[in-house]
Amino acid sequence: MRRRPGIAGLQNAAATRDQFRLVGENVAKVRTDVMKEQLATFRSQLEEFARKHKSDIRKNPIFRQQFHEMCAKVGVDPLASNKGVWAELLGIGDFYYELGVQIVDICIATRSHNGGLIDLLDLRKLLCQKRKATLESLSEDDCLRAISKLKVLGSGFEVISVGRRKLVRSVPTELNKDHSGILALAQAEGYVTVEQVEKEFSWSTGRAIDALETLLKEGLAMIDDGHRDGKRRYWFPCVTVSSDTTGGEAK
Amino acid sequence: MQRLGDFRLPPFFNYPPYFTLQPVRETREKQVQLWKDLILEYCRSQKIHTISLEEDFPLFSNPKIERSLSHEAKEVFLAALVSEGRAEWMDKGHKRCLILWLRIQDWANLIINFVKDNGLEVMTIEEIRSGIDTRGTELEGIERSVLMRALRQLEQKGKAAIFKGTSADDEGVKFSV
Repeated sequence: MRRRPGIAGLQNAAATRDQFRLVGENVAKVRTDVMKEQLATFRSQLEEFARKHKSDIRKNPIFRQQFHEMCAKVGVDPLASNKGVWAELLGIGDFYYELGVQIVDICIATRSHNGGLIDLLDLRKLLCQKRKATLESLSEDDCLRAISKLKVLGSGFEVISVGRRKLVRSVPTELNKDHSGILALAQAEGYVTVEQVEKEFSWSTGRAIDALETLLKEGLAMIDDGHRDGKRRYWFPCVTVSSDTTGGEAK
Repeated sequence: MQRLGDFRLPPFFNYPPYFTLQPVRETREKQVQLWKDLILEYCRSQKIHTISLEEDFPLFSNPKIERSLSHEAKEVFLAALVSEGRAEWMDKGHKRCLILWLRIQDWANLIINFVKDNGLEVMTIEEIRSGIDTRGTELEGIERSVLMRALRQLEQKGKAAIFKGTSADDEGVKFSV
């Protein structure tokens, strides 16, 4: 008679595996439950904290940033929705919403001057003027958060880094490498000449002029033929920070 | 902020490219708008009625940034004012421009209101231009041709009657408010 070796063994093994699996699932469940509980505790403590320090959070940008970082660590986004606990607690959604609206206003108002690109610091200064607040009360971080919210709304706003600065783009114009290079070069004096561009990047005159003329057509540059050396200068309003503003020193 | 006398200059005045006529349409439109507004505001605050393109006009150059408007640029900006009725060329060669920082219609209204508020009935032209009653008001020093046109407008509406006195100096106007 042939014995079927191991079927029972196999069945056993299967049963054991199942049992282990159940135990494993339980353990996982327990762990998850514990974690959920810990998270819930943490969240309610965070809410308590937010309630207590509501006014500090509104007034102090450094505090605000640290609060955001704390929230991020536990996977809480106080700006995720304008309804619900967080918005009611802090009105913080309102703060960024309002900021976003003001940012849009300023970008639209300055578009005909700078072609839809504005230096972030310049934007901050103009925002502070608008809000009649000091430069210190509105941090770069605040602006970046408000803009990222705008981005989520699909409004085409974006922050790009060019050279040493951050520029806020409010038009769909894409900048290629040649253009970004020129913008970065222009940050030194606010303008460039064809000669400077050629020299800096070792480009042909044609390539330099092409890039500059495109930037001109996009409204990002303005020409200046008034210098006594007779050389045409291409000025870039988006890298010139306005000096006629109230507020503190540039960061 | 920079000043020209007691006049506060706007930020764009210190940005060199605004002194060069911009080739890109949208940028040019912005530039023209800024200069149009500046010219009107400046002339109104300084009570300047005419601009001569052949003389230096302090608004058309900024020594601080070593930039000046070209003749062409000046013409473009003034022509823009002319086409919206805020200025008029005084000669065919476009060398002198009358700046109507108030339109003739606006001057007419100003005069009628002034006359009403002050209970005046008859005034000579010179009194309106340089008399005690108008001192400190916008009527003080008003360009004669502008004043006459405003008065004629009022005449057409039956609110005034211009009459000549015994001499040219006595030209006057009677208001019927």
